[in-house]
Amino acid sequence: MTLTRRLIVCLDVRDGRVVKGTRFVNLRDVGDPVELAARYEAEGADEIVFLDISASVEGRGTLLDVARRTAEKLFIPLTIGGGVRSAADVAQVLRAGADKVAINSAAVLRPAVLEEAAAMFGAQCVVSSIDAKMVDGSWRVFTNGGRTATDLDAVEWARKCERRGAGEILLTSIDRDGSRDGYDLDLTRTVADAVSVPVIASGGAGAARDVVEVIQSGRADAALVAGILHDGVTTVYELKTCMREASLPVRDAA
Amino acid sequence: MNGKTIITVFDYGAGNMHSLLKALDIGADVEVRLQTDPEAALETDALVLPGVGAFSNAAGRLASGAPAMRDAILGGLPTLCICLGMQLLFDDSEEGPGAGLGVIPGHVRRLRAKRVPQIGWNEVESLDEALPQVAYFANSYVCDPDDPDCITAYTTHERDRFASVVTVANTIGVQFHPEKSSRAGVSFVRDFVNGVIR
Repeated sequence: MTLTRRLIVCLDVRDGRVVKGTRFVNLRDVGDPVELAARYEAEGADEIVFLDISASVEGRGTLLDVARRTAEKLFIPLTIGGGVRSAADVAQVLRAGADKVAINSAAVLRPAVLEEAAAMFGAQCVVSSIDAKMVDGSWRVFTNGGRTATDLDAVEWARKCERRGAGEILLTSIDRDGSRDGYDLDLTRTVADAVSVPVIASGGAGAARDVVEVIQSGRADAALVAGILHDGVTTVYELKTCMREASLPVRDAA
Repeated sequence: MNGKTIITVFDYGAGNMHSLLKALDIGADVEVRLQTDPEAALETDALVLPGVGAFSNAAGRLASGAPAMRDAILGGLPTLCICLGMQLLFDDSEEGPGAGLGVIPGHVRRLRAKRVPQIGWNEVESLDEALPQVAYFANSYVCDPDDPDCITAYTTHERDRFASVVTVANTIGVQFHPEKSSRAGVSFVRDFVNGVIR
């Protein structure tokens, strides 16, 4: 056997609760993050990501408490992203219970934050989260949850993040996010070929076939799924069965 | 003493310890402690060197108590060393400056693979049924013992086959993260604790 391909479940967390909605609007409470994370572990998820979309300082404080309670119940890796600004924030989130921290806008503002975090905690816990959107024929990096355009080319930026110390790239296609039309295979493949660190594909999963395709044809190491699980379109079990049938190396849930 | 078995986790001041502490805390007979002083950490029934951080930072935190810790481990203190903790058993690392404990002669080298770090679930190739068969790894560096006799399991990333479990005296070093390897990993940690209690 070789290193397995991972299925990663992402939960949006706001003020300590898992919420669901379309592009940050019409948010609806769907449950307790600790319980949902543990349930996805039991179903065979390989990792969990909490994306903090709290609007307030109080909400962020709540997230640290959620991380702590989750880490005591969850025995698979937990990544936390959203609002991480500095190496001190990284330390706080790791200390609270995350195994990896996803950094997005803060790295665009000051790329050295990646180096600082990697030097202290090791590259394996530093995830560069990149939101990319096609603009005039090339993939452009966006920040602030997809609201702010930058001048950065997503492929170049991914290379730079790797040089700066990122141990993984979490690559989200803004064009596909929420569409359920499948992952952006070209974007994923281009970035996966440009860097040596693992690439997690995100945005656009509509069916199990999409997960298989982004790993086989998009050359992603892992696929992130959210909406299709939360809406009951499919299950972790079904996704992993499909991956296995496509001869991808996957972990069996214990 | 309160009659409880004391398990001390050495704290390098970096990273998430909650899942590990929870996995070690198997009940009323056990007291799990966190300790930042390497010499004080040896006043224990068993020691755990956890797995999160960078080699140089951790080596620096250990330095003042390294000779005592080396003697304790070679003298039979039951010790569980996870990921970076396993690497600290060796002499030095390509990751950065600083001395390891030198418990096992050998070096820590970078993985020889295209995708580095190795992040994800991989096979633990061993006949030892106490080990998880598949476990979660998150590492850019691996251990290269001078004498392969201490190796009890191998793992292969791309074409690089490396030592994923080593044993010496009453110490076991694992390159994977048992506390992140779901049920099989947690039972492995609990077996270690139960082995100390007996």
